[in-house]
Amino acid sequence: MQIKRDNHITGISAAVSSLVAGCLFYWWISFDPTTDFKTWGPGLDNRPPESELLAAKKAAAEVVKIGEFGEQFSGHPSLLSASWPRFRGAEADNISKEKVRLANNWGAQGPQKLWSVPLGEGHAGAAVANGRVYVLDYDEEQKADALRCFSLDDGVEIWRRWYRVHVKRNHGYSRTIPAVTDKFVVSIGPRCHVMCVDAISGDFLWGIDLEKDFATEVPFWYTGQCPLIDDGVAVIAPGGKALMIGIDCASGEILWQTPNPNGWKMSHSSIMRVVLFGKAMYIYCAKGGIFAVSAEKGEQGKLLWQSTLWNVSVSAPAPIVLADGQIYVAGGYGAGAALLKVNLLNGEYTVERLLKYKPDAGMATEQQTPLLYKNHFFTIQPKDAGVLRKQLVCYSADDITKPVWSSGVANRFGLGPYLIADGKIFVLADDGVLTMLELSTQKYKQLDQARIIPDGTDAWGPMALVAGRLLLRDSHQLVCLDVAAK
Amino acid sequence: MNENVKRRDFFKNSLRATLALGLGGIATFAMRKLSSRNTVWQIDPEKCVQCEQCSTRCVLDLSAVKAVHAHDMCGHCDLCGGYHRPDAKAQDTAAENQLCPTRAIKRTFVEDPYFSYTIIEEKCIACAKCVKGCAAFGNSSLYLQVRHDRCLNCNECAIAKACPAAAFRRVPSDQPYLLKSKQAATWHAKM
Repeated sequence: MQIKRDNHITGISAAVSSLVAGCLFYWWISFDPTTDFKTWGPGLDNRPPESELLAAKKAAAEVVKIGEFGEQFSGHPSLLSASWPRFRGAEADNISKEKVRLANNWGAQGPQKLWSVPLGEGHAGAAVANGRVYVLDYDEEQKADALRCFSLDDGVEIWRRWYRVHVKRNHGYSRTIPAVTDKFVVSIGPRCHVMCVDAISGDFLWGIDLEKDFATEVPFWYTGQCPLIDDGVAVIAPGGKALMIGIDCASGEILWQTPNPNGWKMSHSSIMRVVLFGKAMYIYCAKGGIFAVSAEKGEQGKLLWQSTLWNVSVSAPAPIVLADGQIYVAGGYGAGAALLKVNLLNGEYTVERLLKYKPDAGMATEQQTPLLYKNHFFTIQPKDAGVLRKQLVCYSADDITKPVWSSGVANRFGLGPYLIADGKIFVLADDGVLTMLELSTQKYKQLDQARIIPDGTDAWGPMALVAGRLLLRDSHQLVCLDVAAK
Repeated sequence: MNENVKRRDFFKNSLRATLALGLGGIATFAMRKLSSRNTVWQIDPEKCVQCEQCSTRCVLDLSAVKAVHAHDMCGHCDLCGGYHRPDAKAQDTAAENQLCPTRAIKRTFVEDPYFSYTIIEEKCIACAKCVKGCAAFGNSSLYLQVRHDRCLNCNECAIAKACPAAAFRRVPSDQPYLLKSKQAATWHAKM
């Protein structure tokens, strides 16, 4: 009897234990520890949907009449005939080929300031031709893009061609350098308005709104692409409906356009015209990839090759072509740089990537395009380049991962521009201090330094040098210096 | 007898001198304590190298150092170097595109194409990733400061001891923060 009761109790205990264990197991298995988790996805910043933004844009769309207004002023062009006709000069290498001797030092007063003019906030550099200085300015009061023509002699304005377009201040307004020939000036405004005017009179010839006509997406911080004029044809990379277009400067007719089936977008980089494997081509780093279009007569606009091996979100430096089809490309915001190689075999182009690295692992640049001189690069390392940040550096083109020399921790320059002339390198720091150093592939040897713009800020616009006159700017003024030897 | 009196006087005088010295010592100690209370630890943002040690060296479980934001210096960009990873696939609030490991920065749409960025202090662990990103790609408007509602003002600050850039220093307690401004940013850009 006792044994039976014990068995009974044992059975009940086992059943209760099993039930409790089962309940616990069920609770454990059904417990979801992620119920308190919140999804951290897109859309938590209250950004309206893209469709809403587009609708708002359309509703607020203004009618931009490109080149609507023209004004004449009292300035007269200089008799100095030398030119710096576009971004990085005539040969797009930022190297002055003039024979003008430049001073080796400036003395305590610094180089003589010939003239200066106030500009709207921005970074647009100057182009020079036939004694005239051309700047695509933004007039903050009129809310207008203004292509301004100044005398190289004294900075007095000769004419101005402008049109109203509302641009919100976003690290300044203007960015681009016009392209100039004897007859034409072509500019691209912050919101992708292309304008062509007569280079002498400033008369309006034609205009294209890339955003409207080619569905171009205006890049972050506005257009950075500087236009190119090649044999009377303006060459632009709009993205959107076309990778690249060629426009007859005289008539405004679109002569050719390269399809853009992948929807690549306009970047801040500029088109480089180069000759590769004996063929002239236009190379451009788009947002989406890098590509080349034929510049040869009869097949202009034909896509020769394209690659996604270089695709970064912010790309301002232009590509640099080296020997053997190698192309150096760089980008900002931590993108670093890469070395690509284009091959041509049986009429087919292929692209391979030889190197890719972060900014602290080799030659990099965020905004300016490096100088290439005698198989050596000169550039300023970006702010995220570790110990070399903001330093001017020299690399052999044979090894772009180990610097030949650097300017040292005491000589940092920021995002400012640089160019080569008369065996010297001129470097402008962010704050308007100009440094002149010996053009050397051996060591950093400073010749002189002077503060050009008191309390200068964001002096990022590329410089131009003509007839011993150096044109530079910070975010608010354009300055012309006499740097010629006396 | 006279000798005994003299000995007594000697002891009395010695006792008085000892008491006076003791009181003097206590007063000096109190003064020093008082004067140390008049200064507090702070980070010089111009010296900070964003080494991340502020996050781990503080004696508090959650560091007294926090990121702060000088809104007047900020570019209010859509693509923000202090908020987005350098390789972010999109400029949005998705976790995979954010730099901050604790989502301590709130991004808010202002108007196309501007956004404001605000530090949520309770979440900030002072890792300085945002400060580094902002310094590398932006206007350096994000920076670190010791928050004095949390700081214990230790005599020997563990972070100051470890700081490789000597960015920690004592500042007057009536001016406990080294705040950035546009003017300071211009100066910083020249360095």
